[in-house]
Amino acid sequence: MVTILPFGETIDVEPNESVLAAILRQGRFVKYGCKHGGCGTCRAEAVEGDYRLGDNTSFSLTDDDRARGIVLLCSTFPDGDGLVIDVSQTMDDLSEEQYLAGQRVQQYLATVDRLDTLTHDIRWLGLRLDEPPDIAFAAGQYIEVGVPGAVDQWRSYSMANPPSESGRVDLIVKLIPGGRFSAALRERLAIGDRLRLRGPLGSFGTRLSHRPMVMVAGGSGKAPILAMLKDLAATGNRRAVTFFYGARTDRDLFLLAELDELVSDNPWLTFIPALSEPQGNNGPWHGEVGLVTEVLARRLPSTKGMEAYLCGPPGMVDAVIDVLNASGCKERHIYFDRFVPSG
Amino acid sequence: MAPKLEIVHEKSKRYDWGFDYARPDPKFPTRYIIPPKGKDPFRVMMRGYAAMETEKDNRVYGGLDSNVRYRNANVAEPRFMEAMKFAIPAFTDAEYQAVTGAGFLIASVKNQELRQGFAGQMLDEVRHTQLEVALRKYYLKNYHDPAGFDIGQIALGNHPIGTLARASFQPFNTGDPIEVSMCLNVVLETAYTNPLVVALPQVAMLNGDHAMPTTFLSIQSDESRHMANGYGTLMCVVQEPDNVPFLQESLERHFWHQHQSMDTLVGVVSEYYSVHRPWAYRDVWEEWVVDDFVGSYMSRLGSFGLRPPDRLAEVARFVEDMHHSVAIGLAAMWPLNFWRIDPMVAADYEWFESHYPGWTARYGGLWDAYRAMSDPTSGRVLMQELPALPPFCQVCHVPCVMPRIDAPETRIFDYEGKRYAVCSEGCHWIFHLNPKIYTGCANWWERFDGMDLADVVLALGYVRPDGKTLMGQPHLNPDRMWTIDDIRRLEYEVKDPLKA
Repeated sequence: MVTILPFGETIDVEPNESVLAAILRQGRFVKYGCKHGGCGTCRAEAVEGDYRLGDNTSFSLTDDDRARGIVLLCSTFPDGDGLVIDVSQTMDDLSEEQYLAGQRVQQYLATVDRLDTLTHDIRWLGLRLDEPPDIAFAAGQYIEVGVPGAVDQWRSYSMANPPSESGRVDLIVKLIPGGRFSAALRERLAIGDRLRLRGPLGSFGTRLSHRPMVMVAGGSGKAPILAMLKDLAATGNRRAVTFFYGARTDRDLFLLAELDELVSDNPWLTFIPALSEPQGNNGPWHGEVGLVTEVLARRLPSTKGMEAYLCGPPGMVDAVIDVLNASGCKERHIYFDRFVPSG
Repeated sequence: MAPKLEIVHEKSKRYDWGFDYARPDPKFPTRYIIPPKGKDPFRVMMRGYAAMETEKDNRVYGGLDSNVRYRNANVAEPRFMEAMKFAIPAFTDAEYQAVTGAGFLIASVKNQELRQGFAGQMLDEVRHTQLEVALRKYYLKNYHDPAGFDIGQIALGNHPIGTLARASFQPFNTGDPIEVSMCLNVVLETAYTNPLVVALPQVAMLNGDHAMPTTFLSIQSDESRHMANGYGTLMCVVQEPDNVPFLQESLERHFWHQHQSMDTLVGVVSEYYSVHRPWAYRDVWEEWVVDDFVGSYMSRLGSFGLRPPDRLAEVARFVEDMHHSVAIGLAAMWPLNFWRIDPMVAADYEWFESHYPGWTARYGGLWDAYRAMSDPTSGRVLMQELPALPPFCQVCHVPCVMPRIDAPETRIFDYEGKRYAVCSEGCHWIFHLNPKIYTGCANWWERFDGMDLADVVLALGYVRPDGKTLMGQPHLNPDRMWTIDDIRRLEYEVKDPLKA
């Protein structure tokens, strides 16, 4: 653990992980350059606690710096949990907003204005923001929704709408048997009801680059992908995107018309739905058959030079990561959001 | 007790004055609106800064001394040391142009806080120039084959591809002041210094040269200041929406141009002048230029309407191949070099094929031929075997073998009655942004059209002190050196490929 001042946030640091790597991994931002102790951009002051400083800082830190506790975040490894780092003097133009990288968490009150049944266990929950009336978020982020009737119970759902629709949030909710929010959504929630929200949260979302993208989702993991695709379309994307969606049977498929429309409007987008159990469907299935991992491996035998964005159940995400690693995608270019069920 | 740095810094900004009875014409006009606000996050004060830099200098000179004592110049791989004959003068050219660039910016940007930052940068750039000259002197005095180190700066300016440095670094102090900062601080120093001065020293270390990393890691420790100058300037002008289209165009131009020269230079040196390679250059580029510069730095500018360079995917395509093409191009015309080039051998072929699949089919035959002709008794040089000499790009000065020597994307066109060649669509676009920048210099082949190759080598001054042995050699064997007589026996006449 390390505490970052002046923002007062405590973040986790893995063993043998630098403070800079931990900050960036958790979606925060500080100034940095070479990440190798050479340039000195990530200077900060260690005001409390123990740490080890990499020996690659010989030119970038003077003896006087070291005596004053000046460190480079890229080369600082905490020793124990009590390390406190202050960037206020060395990065004095770094605002809290920049540090939070757009993640200014606020509470909102919103009114339900759309409730749709997408499948037997997935619902669309549309919310119009009342107070405050606008939210700034990045496509791929999520928000927490207060469970109706409970004081401090929250459920996390990714926005399915793009950031340009700043006056609302649209969520895709998977109903969990016995879940408290699921029960409310199935039985009680109605148009006009009010809900509490807090967010936005998370660092999942597309990165700027030239690389073709592969996106893989399962279940309600389609939500952030949908937001990302709509945002890419709105911002003039030219990078190729192949979106794989894995489901069990055709009763688990949803929003196909919306995706078809996105595909027809955007030549860079390919949508590949796959069913693992095509038998017993409502009609003949002409699409891909197999687990989404199998279909991915078949359709994209090489993912070298690509970026991957994965969202869905943890088992699916882990299995897809293995397939991507085997087909040449670099580990640092695989971004994911594991959806852990919470009803 | 000394006053706090923040207080002194604030006070120093007030030592600024202007005319209230007249509006002087700017020395260097700009098309940008420059808001009066701007921040120097380093809060540099010259006195303290100079002391810190002195300490850094002392460490480097101490490091060079210990390299002399350990005779490291001759422990290092000669293949790598030969690259330093052209790479160090190219870097020195960059530092020198940046000295004047910082002065240019101080004179142009009417913002006292940013000026403080540029003043610090000017001091750094002078320091870097001196360090690199000291490094070259160390090589000259201690490496067993110093030929080429002695005339490095002049030789680079005369070399057919060496003019790449001048073309690339002249924009550090020419044109619109904001675009000077965009080229120098934002594109070169933010996007490209990590490949240049972090990645290349790794190659040097692996190949036994400890002097180069000692010097360049000291230089790198100043770069954060320069990146901050660029970020401060950019954040200042990007707030004005009318500036954004100009900034976008400037980013596009300098990103393409700096990529052409930097990716060629670092790619060639790190992969073709090393025996031990820590990585494939393409991967270094992906990490520092794409993930860090585009993915992180540029993403923070999106809210102002600034987007990554449109040619990013095109740059990525070029980075796969261009340094392979230029490396064999340099080898093919080896008599025109002032350094020696070691032929690639089986272990190199294996490394290239595993990191760049298809390399052997594309380049292996050319390296086979180069190796076969490396002894003077062969009586041939590879440039004779080419169907025609490639022209040099009028914008970036690399040979028009881009991105692949077997599939160049050269464009030849006439402008105001004269014929020009450019290596790519990107350079073609840059040329037409402001042709006057690029029409002033002659194409390299044009200067020597009709001359015997031996006379060209003599005119360039690329011969050793005995007056007949060439500085450039197609191998590292000191017993089988080519002389000017060997070259004259080739009866090879240089022909300008653009001549009608």
